[in-house]
Amino acid sequence: MSDYTVDEIMCTTLASRFQDGDEVCNGMASFIPVAAIMLARLMHAPGLVWLAGAAGLDPRPERVPASTLEAPLWRDSVMYLEQYSDFWHYAQNGRNLGIFCVGAAQLDMYGNANNSVIGSDYHRPKVRLPGTAGLGDMGSLGKRLFYWNTNHNPRALVEKVDFRSAAGYLDGGDERERLGLGPGPEVVVTNLAVLDFHPESKRMRLVSVHPGVTVEQVQEATGFELLLPDGDVAETATPTEEQVHLLRDRIDPDGLCKREAGVARP
Amino acid sequence: MSKVMSIEDAVALVEDGNVVALQNMATQAAPMALVRELIRQEKRNLGLVCLVGGIAVDWLAAAGVIDRFIGAAVSMETFGLCQQYRKAVEEGRVHVEELSETALNARLGAGARNLPSLPTRGLIGTDILAVNENLKTFEDPFTGETLVACRALVPDVALVHAHRADEQGNVQYEPTILWPDVGIFPKAARRTIVTVEEIVDSEVLRRNPDRTVLPGFRVDAVVEVPYGAHPTSFYPRYGYDARFHIDWTKVSRDDEQAQEFLRRYVREPETHADYLQAAGGAERLIEVTRL
Repeated sequence: MSDYTVDEIMCTTLASRFQDGDEVCNGMASFIPVAAIMLARLMHAPGLVWLAGAAGLDPRPERVPASTLEAPLWRDSVMYLEQYSDFWHYAQNGRNLGIFCVGAAQLDMYGNANNSVIGSDYHRPKVRLPGTAGLGDMGSLGKRLFYWNTNHNPRALVEKVDFRSAAGYLDGGDERERLGLGPGPEVVVTNLAVLDFHPESKRMRLVSVHPGVTVEQVQEATGFELLLPDGDVAETATPTEEQVHLLRDRIDPDGLCKREAGVARP
Repeated sequence: MSKVMSIEDAVALVEDGNVVALQNMATQAAPMALVRELIRQEKRNLGLVCLVGGIAVDWLAAAGVIDRFIGAAVSMETFGLCQQYRKAVEEGRVHVEELSETALNARLGAGARNLPSLPTRGLIGTDILAVNENLKTFEDPFTGETLVACRALVPDVALVHAHRADEQGNVQYEPTILWPDVGIFPKAARRTIVTVEEIVDSEVLRRNPDRTVLPGFRVDAVVEVPYGAHPTSFYPRYGYDARFHIDWTKVSRDDEQAQEFLRRYVREPETHADYLQAAGGAERLIEVTRL
């Protein structure tokens, strides 16, 4: 087994979910998804279409830059998509840009997300968060949402979000379908585990735990009861030596993913 | 007719209580010289429209200029939450009308086209529909689908920063990412104030008319302000000033220190050159220009 850090297993796990030809967007402050996209393009998915920052098409940044929403990220793009007339036209049409990598301050057992407020009074919140931005659209537009969270804890993975700024599976079951909404949240990659959603109940389900993490630890760090897979809980595949080398030496030599995940640089 | 004027005269076009649409995408491209002048002229009760606001929103909230925010998010990205804005919202001094990006675009798109509303499929199933009176679900008359009607928004003034303009207010950008600030804000707003890195002869624009994104007939004021977006980035001319953003985040949780910061960088410098000098002068400008 190779030597790796938690940001690296998160990157390789996300990367393994991308297939060649997928069309993927990243948002702001998204170092791990950006590194995962760059890794997938270098390895198994050279034809992955990347719309960096929902703005620059198929860029070639030298490395993960200090911001995932500034021009160094979309260096060497083949096209700049103007946000109003280009980006949202393609994104609102079901044919393109199917995958969005997003983070959420709170995520609930049905994959609904909150980036708006903490507290029960929306107009006088305990904490005012940034706001829904594009996520409030993506959740309702039938996108495949890939969530990631570097700090899996019961305040982030909650039974019910304080405020639903983006639609996941709503109250579960077929509620999403009844409202005519297409695909929704697909995977949640955290510093402890990989989770998905049960095909019928739409409740969050444990897929695998990272090496060294127990199912009990994941359950304890989650604010609701997780569904378990049939049979044993798998162990998340660890990064290969080649992947670790690419991530450390080529994709993210400045260690921005490590900073995002709060791990010391080896 | 020349639209060129001083920054004082341009910002004097903004009246207390106006709804002001401000160009800004987190750490990118905010017309910061105009933001500073709004604070210096002590504007009050402005509604602020942004797609994703950054340090500009934090300053306007700290200075008591705005009492409502209409937009999709406020964040300085890697520099974190805007603490003065956050506090103002939590204390009830700033009201938030939260919109998703398509809903904001639809509201402005309707305003630009003189329509009462435009629909979106975004936000269905969210709680935002319950707290925003300018969004209403309806049944599409053709398909019976449930959609969200977004009420037209016509800002009183749009504030944008661009690379160059001629005296008539025709505005050009160098090749760069364009956000809806330029794509729709000026089309929806009653008035548009533009700061530019340089005012040029129209002959310069005629060489690349495909880069002209705003026609002079939709522009009311042009002000030449080189580095007018500092400390936000303005590609391909300059990047964001990370050190300045960090300096702000070090004081922005404390009201007194935040006011002192505004005094030092906003109220005290008499000219734009004085501001740039206070912010680190030539050395800092070389740093942000080295991309």
